[in-house]
Amino acid sequence: MRYDVTTEPLDPRELEGVVTHAGAGAICTFTGIVRDNSRGQSVTHLDYEAYAEMAVPQMKKIGEEIKERWPDARVAMAHRTGHLEIGEASVVVCVSAPHRHDAIEACTWGIDRLKESVPIWKKEHAVDGTFWIEGEEAKPAS
Amino acid sequence: MAVAVAVKVRFFARLRELAGVETEALHVQPNASLSDVYAVLRGMHDALPEQTAVRAALNQEFAEWSTRVRDGDEVAFIPPVSGGR
Repeated sequence: MRYDVTTEPLDPRELEGVVTHAGAGAICTFTGIVRDNSRGQSVTHLDYEAYAEMAVPQMKKIGEEIKERWPDARVAMAHRTGHLEIGEASVVVCVSAPHRHDAIEACTWGIDRLKESVPIWKKEHAVDGTFWIEGEEAKPAS
Repeated sequence: MAVAVAVKVRFFARLRELAGVETEALHVQPNASLSDVYAVLRGMHDALPEQTAVRAALNQEFAEWSTRVRDGDEVAFIPPVSGGR
C-alpha cells in the first residue's frame, strides 16, 4: 500500500511495483493526464493544490474501503501537485488482484472515490482565463 | 465562566483566494459549531461564499456543520474537489 501527494513527476510503473506480488494475476492502473482542452477552450497548463495533511489520510481510507470490498486487492495511489504541463500525469491509482474483473472494478471505484473525497483542487489555465474546477463547474480564479 | 476557544482555520483553492489568506487564528465562543466559525469568517471576509457551497473539515476529517469546535482544533473550509469525468 502506498499513498502519496507529491510535486515530483508520477511513475505508474513504480506504483505497479508496489502492488505486484506472486498471487496477483492482474494489475489495473488508471493514469489521469493533463489534457490540452477543456470546455471547448485550449488549456495551457494546470496547477493542483492539495490539503496534503488531509488528502493522504483520505486516500488511505479509500484503500481500506477497497480492501473491505475486494479483500485480495492491493492498492497504491499518488496525486501530483503544483504546476503540470500538458501530457503529464496528475493522478495514478493502481490495484492488483488475483483476477482482472476485481482489479478493474476496484480501480474504477478507487479513482471515482478519490475524485469526490480527496481534497485536491485543479486550477485550469486556459486561453479564455484561469478557472478553479469544482466538480462540473469552472469558476473564475482571482 | 466563558473562556474563548482558539482554533486554526485553513482555506484552500478558490476559498483561499476569496478569503485573501491561507490561515486565520480565531477565538470563538465555547460551544461554537463549525457553522458559527464560518459565520464569523464570512463577517471578516465578505467574498466568502454561502455555507451551502462549502464543506467543513475538522482536524483533517470531513465533519458536520453542527459539530462543536474545541480548543486547538484545526478547521478547514473546502470547496468542491477537482471533479472531472
